[in-house]
Amino acid sequence: MAEPSEILQGTLDMLVLRTLQLGPMHGLGVSDRIKQITRGVFFVKPGSLFPALYRLEQNGWIQGHWGESENNRKAKYYTLTPSGRAQLTREKRKWNKAFSAVNRLLEAES
Amino acid sequence: MQVLFRRRRVEEDLSAELEAFESMLVDRYLKQDLSLEEARRKARLELEGLEQIKEQVRDVRMATTLQSLSQDIRFAARTLFRSPGFTAVAILTLALGIGVNTAIFSVVYAILLRPLPYDHPKQLALIWSKLEKTALSRAPASGPIWSEIVHRNNLLSDVAGIWIGNGTFTGDANPEQVKLAFVTPNFPGLLGFRPELGRIFVPAEESFGGRWAIMLSHGVWQRRYGGDPAIIGKTVSISGGSATVVGILPPDFRLYFSDNVPAEVGAMVPFGDDLSKRPADLYFLRLLARLKPGVTAEQAQADLNQVAGQIRSQYTELNAENLSFDLAPLQRDAVREVRPALIALFSGAGFVLLICCLNVANLLLARASSRGREIAVRSALGASRSRILRQVLLEGLVLCTVAGAAGVLLGWAGVHALMSIRPDYLAHMPEVGINWPVLAFVAGLSFASVLLCALAPSIESSKTDINITLREAGRTSQPSLRRGMRAVLIVGEITLGLVLLIGAGLMIRTLQNIQAVQPGFEAQHLLTFEIDLSTYRRQARINFVQEWESKLASLPGVASVGAVSHLPLDDYPNWYSPYRPQGMTPTQASGLLADHRASTPGYLQAMGAKLLEGRFFDAQDRAAGRQVVLVDDLLANSAWPGQSAIGKQIEVEHVTNQGFVPLWSEVVGVVEHIRNHSLSKKVRGEIYIPYEQSPREHLSFAVRARLDPLALAGTIRAELLRRDHNMALSKVRPMTAYVQRATAPVRFIAVLAGAFAGLALLLAAIGIYGVVSYSVSRRMHEMGVRMALGATSSEILRLVMREAMGLASVGILLGTAAAFFVSRTLRTLIYGISAIDPATYSLAIVVVAAAAFLGCWRPAAQAAAANPVDALRSE
Repeated sequence: MAEPSEILQGTLDMLVLRTLQLGPMHGLGVSDRIKQITRGVFFVKPGSLFPALYRLEQNGWIQGHWGESENNRKAKYYTLTPSGRAQLTREKRKWNKAFSAVNRLLEAES
Repeated sequence: MQVLFRRRRVEEDLSAELEAFESMLVDRYLKQDLSLEEARRKARLELEGLEQIKEQVRDVRMATTLQSLSQDIRFAARTLFRSPGFTAVAILTLALGIGVNTAIFSVVYAILLRPLPYDHPKQLALIWSKLEKTALSRAPASGPIWSEIVHRNNLLSDVAGIWIGNGTFTGDANPEQVKLAFVTPNFPGLLGFRPELGRIFVPAEESFGGRWAIMLSHGVWQRRYGGDPAIIGKTVSISGGSATVVGILPPDFRLYFSDNVPAEVGAMVPFGDDLSKRPADLYFLRLLARLKPGVTAEQAQADLNQVAGQIRSQYTELNAENLSFDLAPLQRDAVREVRPALIALFSGAGFVLLICCLNVANLLLARASSRGREIAVRSALGASRSRILRQVLLEGLVLCTVAGAAGVLLGWAGVHALMSIRPDYLAHMPEVGINWPVLAFVAGLSFASVLLCALAPSIESSKTDINITLREAGRTSQPSLRRGMRAVLIVGEITLGLVLLIGAGLMIRTLQNIQAVQPGFEAQHLLTFEIDLSTYRRQARINFVQEWESKLASLPGVASVGAVSHLPLDDYPNWYSPYRPQGMTPTQASGLLADHRASTPGYLQAMGAKLLEGRFFDAQDRAAGRQVVLVDDLLANSAWPGQSAIGKQIEVEHVTNQGFVPLWSEVVGVVEHIRNHSLSKKVRGEIYIPYEQSPREHLSFAVRARLDPLALAGTIRAELLRRDHNMALSKVRPMTAYVQRATAPVRFIAVLAGAFAGLALLLAAIGIYGVVSYSVSRRMHEMGVRMALGATSSEILRLVMREAMGLASVGILLGTAAAFFVSRTLRTLIYGISAIDPATYSLAIVVVAAAAFLGCWRPAAQAAAANPVDALRSE
């Protein structure tokens, strides 16, 4: 398996939103879940994760609140807001468009 | 404050979150059976430095804040652009109000607020003499009074004196008469200005009898001497003598003294004699004092009171007058006369802006309710309350920035329009313009007015509930006009508009009254000019005037000719002196003062004065003739009530070789009073003395022309130069120019007030139209129901009109009451009518009511003409 790669910023925002669609989660949970779902292809370092979380929160797409973690530690949980959900839909659409465009291009060349 | 607090909370949050993250990692590694030490090391490694992460988060926060702000501003601009009609009308309306205020404020700032351009201007004050016996409260001082104050006071750092006379620059083909400021040598130093070139006067200039030192004005230096810097130390010819140029006055040098002291003088010279040796009761000197640092006006006044006591005990003639002093801060004193007018106009402009704000408030109100749904959707989508509020504020900010900028442009145009009315009587007029303080004022004003405009919609929207708005799809039931903000808007506009209209009406009536005044002379077809005769001795002067008048009379196009020492409505220092009618003891006559005028035989006829009794001067009233005088009806009636004045003796001051001497003279005629000082006031009685019996140096000629008076000027100037190339013609102007100048202040106020009122009326009518038509459009459904239930269209018309006009009458009632109150403050400005003139009030009420009626007629008619089916379907 190749080294887990860093994610492009725009993509990271989308992935975080998508992850939070599954339910409220704290920072470490988000990072774990991304690694898990992408089967280790993407690995989010804390140095990218926290700025992303704060950016999303400021845009009103996610909302943070303090709670208890599984092993009774205080942790900040993030929830997707309605406008975050709308943003995710937009991003998905954008991504799909770009993805299929790039795919078509690659297939045409081969 | 709140922002700082929030920032700290976020920082604490971030630290706590990172700590939690770290300890969760540690927990995880502990589960993988690592030692506590090892687990901690690995966790820290993964975190790559806490501080670095914090810094990155901070960067992101900053960037998103800026980004969202610029997004919001762009969004605000886009939303405004999306309804261009609303935006254009709102910006135009606000810009109009702001423009009017910018123009007026730039005048108010230049005149009332800007510190005078002298050194520490707050320390400068005028000292007026109060002469109790003569009943004068703002008299100039005499030479001895000046030197006594200088030596006896304790709290003034210096006192200087100034007197304005005429002088003629000669020595080339183009003699020029100018205003000459005669000053005590300490005058320039006391004002504290720096000469453009050379030096100011030194105390040694006081050494009397030597050659004059002179400081030229920048204008004279440029005009006559080509701006040559080598002029310093050179000798110039002036008024038959010569003077050494010691310095040049700064280019922007002006005198802000009002009361007939011109703002600009051609040159400044020290008095040529020892002022303290002049008669103690020859009052001519305007005193200017500089207070010692830290001394208040009250303290200085107390000091002067004590000085006045010492002076009274030393001079019997001043004791008899019960002399005292009045210290008046220079700036306040200089604007004493224009202040009420400016404040009135400034308030008027404020009213106009308020009406503009009410109109825009209505627009915003209309827009807010149609946007209610959009905002509800946005907040349902998760836009935070603060973000939406910020959005509304930013829209206001964009609006106020654009309106403010447009307002400054309009104001700039307005200032130019004001200049074209040429209120020359405002000494500060050249300094009026758009400058930083004015811009700061505009910025504050724009911001305040947008806040004010936004007040109405925010009050209204605080009452609405998002859920209801969403459910009803914005179809909230509309209250009738009478309730809520719309009623306030209509009443407010009518009230303000009526107050302005009544104020303007009073000023326009005043202007009419002033223009209808019979000043005692006939100004049409009259050319006037001055000649300075100070270079001629007494007999030469008399000969010159005789020959010159007959030459003038022989010119083609000249009907009649005369000359007088002081023209009516001129700003030349007045000549007024005591007199004593036959039959009164000196004590009885004490305090009697009359304007004295030395006139040639033809003068009063040439002026078109009206002879009431007796005769005019004629060819027998020469230097060697009997001492005779003419008086005006004012003096005749007060001196000899119920009797004919003809043949009565009167003691009158003459100009003789020994100076001013009272001589008994016989009254040979009575003329109608001539308004010498102001068109609106008969100030005091008048005495005319034959010129040859009192030949003053300064003479103004009046030439009655058959056609255009100014067409004669060229011929006359050429004729004078042929006669004596050292003589200059000055102030060549038609008599109508003096009359216009005298009406200028009133015209200035009336024109501006009229413009404000017209604007206010138009805006109020538009505003009412807007409010009523919006309310009607929102209530179409209700109208449909009413019609379906059998209401006729005339009933609908009446319903709408009754509501709107009901509110308008409340506004009229309030406006009339307010005008009653406000017009009291105009009392000093109006002439010939009462401040509560019923005709003006009724006319203004009728006009405002008509404007309101016009404003609501169209929307009401539209409501009435609507098809009930369409009306029911509307929305």
